Amino acid sequence: MRKILSAITIAVCASTPVHAVDIEVGYPYSHLFNVTFEKMMKDFSQQHPDINVKFRAVYEGYEEGTNIILREAISGNLPDITMQGLNRQAILVEKGIARSLEPFIAKEANFTKEGYHQAMLELGSFNNEVYGLPFSISLPVGYYNMDMMKKAGIEKLPENWSEVIAACQKLRANGVKNPVFWGWNITGNWFMQSLLWTQDTPIIKDGKFNIDNQEGLIALNTMKDIFRGCEMKNLAWKEALSSFAAGEVAMMYWSTSALGSVERAKGDFEMKTHEFPGINGKPKGLPAGGNAALLVSSSNDPERLQAAWTFLKFITSGVGAAAVAETTGYMPPNKAANEIILRDFYTQNPNKETAVRQLPLLREWMAYPGDKGLAVTQVIYDGMERIVVDEQNDMKALQKELIEEVGELLPQ
Amino acid sequence: MSHYSPIAETCKHLILIIGALIVFLPFYVMVSYSLKSPKEIETNTGGFWGAQAPMVNQYCVKLGNPVDQCTTTPIVFNYTSAFNKAPLLRYLLNGVIVTLSIFIIQVIISMPAAYALSKLRWRGREAVFNLILFSLLIPVHAIALPLYLMLSKAGLVNTYAALVIPWTISVFGIFLMRQFFKTVPDDLIDAARLDGMSEFSIVWRVMLPTAVPALIAFAIFSVVAHWNDYFWPRIVITGNQNLFTPPLGLREFRGGADGSDWGPMMATATVIVIPLIVAFLIAQKKFIGGITLTGMK
Repeated sequence: MRKILSAITIAVCASTPVHAVDIEVGYPYSHLFNVTFEKMMKDFSQQHPDINVKFRAVYEGYEEGTNIILREAISGNLPDITMQGLNRQAILVEKGIARSLEPFIAKEANFTKEGYHQAMLELGSFNNEVYGLPFSISLPVGYYNMDMMKKAGIEKLPENWSEVIAACQKLRANGVKNPVFWGWNITGNWFMQSLLWTQDTPIIKDGKFNIDNQEGLIALNTMKDIFRGCEMKNLAWKEALSSFAAGEVAMMYWSTSALGSVERAKGDFEMKTHEFPGINGKPKGLPAGGNAALLVSSSNDPERLQAAWTFLKFITSGVGAAAVAETTGYMPPNKAANEIILRDFYTQNPNKETAVRQLPLLREWMAYPGDKGLAVTQVIYDGMERIVVDEQNDMKALQKELIEEVGELLPQ
Repeated sequence: MSHYSPIAETCKHLILIIGALIVFLPFYVMVSYSLKSPKEIETNTGGFWGAQAPMVNQYCVKLGNPVDQCTTTPIVFNYTSAFNKAPLLRYLLNGVIVTLSIFIIQVIISMPAAYALSKLRWRGREAVFNLILFSLLIPVHAIALPLYLMLSKAGLVNTYAALVIPWTISVFGIFLMRQFFKTVPDDLIDAARLDGMSEFSIVWRVMLPTAVPALIAFAIFSVVAHWNDYFWPRIVITGNQNLFTPPLGLREFRGGADGSDWGPMMATATVIVIPLIVAFLIAQKKFIGGITLTGMK
């Protein structure tokens, strides 16, 4: 009897038409991305009924996401795929937790046709191998309260920082107490890197801190000019976003990723986004923020790995990538998705298109090499803070100081 | 006894009122935010209740539903998000399961231990008691990493067991019960022994009923601490979101630099503290008695 039963069980299992593969996925910021995955998964489960995607507890933020993966690598229960902040990929690659995607890419015939282009792949490449596929990308943009701008008689939105300062003065003359917020305090020295990249200068070059040049001094001076010329208040970014939403700040320079929540929370005024201003002409480059999908599976089952790759490709191209733009302030770095699937969407949502127009400027958001990367971030942060609070007015001295302090923290 | 002075009384009450206001203010903000729309929260308008004007649920629109199906009022939006997007009922149930399991096991372990430490004579008793006192000094954060590694080696990460096991031996509980047992007269125990009771039945049938006030005091500390704990669940629960305890539900609405969803977040916080507040109102007398009993004010 028992034999017959087990024979039947085996027969039933073997004849099940779809042999489902389970993969596990972790991602950060539930209130931003839950809706994205909800939307994507409808299409995904239709196209791939044989792949079962299980989502892990959502990371609270990028730092926690990296912490959790490092912890899970020790306890041996890694997910198959994890979304990590762009500047947090390196550590997972260095520690051998992330797996190279080259073997999978090699098998793809139409990889470039699906919209994966070099600038996008470079954001997740280490030692000339692709490890991460960027999933949702943000770039710095300008947010403008058009009601306030019009009241001050400003018709044309500023294209460079001197125009921003001129606009500030007009706004102040019209009784605006707090004309601008420039997001110097955003994570990872993102705005310092923006000012350098606009001059096509990386903050780290050949492993060295690269502000020991004219561009570095210009970046610091530009910051000083904005803070002094606009008499910018030193707001914490949470307050700044609230003040902008409340219609107290006229111009805000921040990541495009906050667009969704600013639009949800803003008062009754017309808001426009516009390209991030340059030093003289247009910016030559801008650092990309956001996150990339990494393969961290500890499984050796080729079927499971293939399923994970299928999921990776789905969320970074085609309708999957389109869902990122449709549900968040981020954009997919995928060319095909942006230019074909989302064309009408961007015409209807011009505020979201600003960042897309800046896509050709996409550059790396640089992580500082070595174990003291976080300390380097803090040193530069403190330096910028001293300009904001009017403690430091000699930019040459500050430049020298930063070079010395950071130089000591970087690996020799 | 000092004589009654109206000025002194007024001063006392003024200070107490100010103190009460300071304690009350965060709760006021929490409840108020849980009622208002995102716009009212960011622009700081709408008073306590908010205007309750119809608002569009943007998440619902993004999923491709027509706008008129997604129109709702702020209070409905905040509380339904709290219960749907974060499955709060599930989290509350987890909270009950975890805090009750912890408390019951803590009692099972600390009662006999306290009895042995206070009423039985054996060699090394003082040394063991000193060790227990010493353990009181070790903060949980210091040993979190080894605990995590041990649990992960045992394959218990992402289970209820991981939430419960590290807390099952409460040094504070043992200490508290021992101090209480010391006040129980030896005659009572001797009488029980003469009647032929075993040591274990003395613990459960004689000591337990006398220790109810101390147990209640201990229950308050244990349940409040573990119901509100954010640190430990956050460390051991990384895989299965269905094992979240209520405080972890809050992070569902955090967005970092991209703006958080304060309304639903505060609605979640309101729902989480309600069981504790209700429990407090019901057991107010015992609660205060319990806290004065332990001398922890």
